[in-house]
Amino acid sequence: MTSYESFSGLVLHRLLAIACTLLLGTVPVAAQEIDLLLKGGHLLDPKNGINEPMDLAISGKTILKVEKDIPASSAKKTLDLSGLYITPGLLDMHVHVFHGTNTESYIADALTSLPPDGFTFRSGVTTVVDAGSSGWRNFRQFKEQTIDRSQTRVLALLNIVGTGMYGRFEEQNVMDMNPTMTAHMINRLFPEILVGIKSAHYWGDFTQVDIAVEAGNLANVPVMVDFGEHQPPNSIEALFMQHLRPGDIFTHTFSYGPNNRETVVDENLKVKPFVFEAQERGIRFDVGHGGGAFSFRQAIPAIEQGFLPDVISSDLHKDSMNGGFKDMANLLSKFMNMGLSLEEVILRATWNPAQVIHREDLGNLDPGSEADIAVFRLVEGDFGFQDIRRTRIDGTQRLETELTLRAGRIVWDLNGINAPHWETEISNR
Amino acid sequence: MKNLCLLILGFAFCLPLSAQEFDILIQRAYLVDAKNKIQDTMNVGIADGKIALVARTIPSEKAKKVINASGLILSPGLIDIHTHVFVGSKASTFADGFSSVSPDDFTFRSGITTVVDAGTSGWRNFETFKKNVIDASHTRVLAFLNIAGSGMSGHPTQENLQDMDPEKALEMLQRYPDILVGIKIGHFTGPEWHPFENALVASGKVQKPLLVECHLPRYTLAEQLEKMRPGDILTHSFEEIDERMPIVDEKGQLRPFVLAAYERGVHFDVGHGGAGFWFSQAIPALRQGLKPHTFGTDLHRFSMNSGMKNMLNVMSKFMAMGMELEAVIQRASWQAAQVIQRPDLGHLTEGAVADLTLLKLLEGDFGFVDAGGNRIKGKHKLETELTIKGGKVVYDLNGLAAKNYNYQ
Repeated sequence: MTSYESFSGLVLHRLLAIACTLLLGTVPVAAQEIDLLLKGGHLLDPKNGINEPMDLAISGKTILKVEKDIPASSAKKTLDLSGLYITPGLLDMHVHVFHGTNTESYIADALTSLPPDGFTFRSGVTTVVDAGSSGWRNFRQFKEQTIDRSQTRVLALLNIVGTGMYGRFEEQNVMDMNPTMTAHMINRLFPEILVGIKSAHYWGDFTQVDIAVEAGNLANVPVMVDFGEHQPPNSIEALFMQHLRPGDIFTHTFSYGPNNRETVVDENLKVKPFVFEAQERGIRFDVGHGGGAFSFRQAIPAIEQGFLPDVISSDLHKDSMNGGFKDMANLLSKFMNMGLSLEEVILRATWNPAQVIHREDLGNLDPGSEADIAVFRLVEGDFGFQDIRRTRIDGTQRLETELTLRAGRIVWDLNGINAPHWETEISNR
Repeated sequence: MKNLCLLILGFAFCLPLSAQEFDILIQRAYLVDAKNKIQDTMNVGIADGKIALVARTIPSEKAKKVINASGLILSPGLIDIHTHVFVGSKASTFADGFSSVSPDDFTFRSGITTVVDAGTSGWRNFETFKKNVIDASHTRVLAFLNIAGSGMSGHPTQENLQDMDPEKALEMLQRYPDILVGIKIGHFTGPEWHPFENALVASGKVQKPLLVECHLPRYTLAEQLEKMRPGDILTHSFEEIDERMPIVDEKGQLRPFVLAAYERGVHFDVGHGGAGFWFSQAIPALRQGLKPHTFGTDLHRFSMNSGMKNMLNVMSKFMAMGMELEAVIQRASWQAAQVIQRPDLGHLTEGAVADLTLLKLLEGDFGFVDAGGNRIKGKHKLETELTIKGGKVVYDLNGLAAKNYNYQ
């Protein structure tokens, strides 16, 4: 078969598919049945300014409506969520999930990356954004190996380095930083998955950031910068005010390693004035907690002085998962115990990151959007939260993930809210 | 003579006493150590990665780091004898595939320090498993070797009779005696018995157990149990599927030949998995006297987010069915170690490797789910507070071992 024939075949297929959709599409629209009703919960949807008791109805894969007092009689199935919080499924904007067994590599196709599904649903996350584990050369492998096989929605920032995070030395190779190919991958080949560009782990001057921004301009997407390995450190003021554009992202915001990364809070625990200006200019500040990038001595003074991160994300990988980070529910709880409200932390893990990556279809509970939903219990007690320096703060609140839905389907159910008592199964025989 | 002894003792204690003797000291924990028959409030000192002292009181000054564990339960590091952790990038398979999971992602956060892979690899690919996962994990990873040469590589490779070579399997068991704890037979749809016989032979030659899975539809349960020796392990004990006769019959009675095998010394593992655990089997079986020996989770991609969730959830589920705290801890530690013939693990005897976990017994209204999506309620749930492997803190939920943050 010539390529022309296969192309025309493809077009025919698509036309048929569209015709079928048009014909069949009318049927479910007319029915509009409520398959699942989440009733009695306190609904938090920062995009729509909702923070009050509200019921949510799901039809198939999508949210049908959010209203007060939707009658249980109108739904095929109703879950009583009294005492619980309903939020959009969390969007973790910084993870490493290009898992594989290439022992030569460290993050790309390697063991430092984690298969996402074991971490996401159990902490209320329904979408993750891989932060540059792959570059244009190995993204297809990442897609085939992880993205296409995961239940979690996996989006990605493409590394400006062609081989992604293969090794620290490869990441210095300016010859492999190709803005044209990077932009083609994002705009032409995988626009549904690739939401931006990552610049990371570069030891030199601003060269890598500038090439990433060049690619960002070509593809019209944001650039995320991990600016951590310069000795002496490069100026973050120059990064924020001269090299990055409004909408670009600075990650590892509360990292404290002054020898190779300039900090946002100075040694007298004062937020540097240009940091506020940068945030006003539109630079987006991401937590990217990780195994080495979150210190209370940065975060606590910053929050007290009114500098809040735009996005709370995990930097999930093998060396962060069992440390101070643990999971997104724990990380959000940590920020609540540093003074943020529940609504403020949910905003920073739903609607804010959705806007930062220009995926406004996500991170909200609009009727018509895909039913990605988290249900949390706010547990009261005596808890402790750690940073990466093994210092602790005490706290009284912790979020626990009771239920997670991905596209209308229950993918995590901690206490079996959705399950009947076992003896009903026997009696139904 | 007595004085001389005291003198020697005093001398022996002199040297360490002058400095801080313990790297970590855990104080006031409720210790459950089945091997040493301890169920009491104790202090435990750890030095050089080993248990150095277990005593009623050990002064704080003797340790570099003190963990106040009052109100918490101290258990030997838990042992999950049924997991699938030969993770890799192959689609739709367990061996070197995406259907397996990475052990460290799940272990320490649920108090586990040792997992046993249940035959995901066979003699052809065990060494790949060792290089890619076992050697690269912080968790101690042991394994049952599948009698099928390429382990759980899917059909039709795992049906290949020629590949179920007892000599090759034996060779591997002898080459890696510290990792391989036995043989597994799991997935075979033919009527021939010689794969089962081969598995018995290979494990018998090194006197290690055979682990028997449930996907052997042409063998009857009675015949399998009859061929199994004391010490061999039946897993998915409370499964209710077509591929194997359930141990409890339609009237809710435990089958007499099952009870006979149990009494004869065949071990019964939970092997919860996504489909391997049903209340309609477990509740009647427990009532009629068959308690599982071990709480293998059958952790893999399709069980991790199901009713299984993690080993502590499985243990809490058995508590909700009426088992005592001490009994579940015993099964998850010392008894599991005995079943896999690793008496060096699963206890906190002085000199043993310092693998241990501090657990909190939460009170509240909890629910537990089986493979059929049915729920029971419970008032208790175990939560991991802290896990130590080889004397190092590897998980610390609330920062028990951390310093308080202070402003400068």
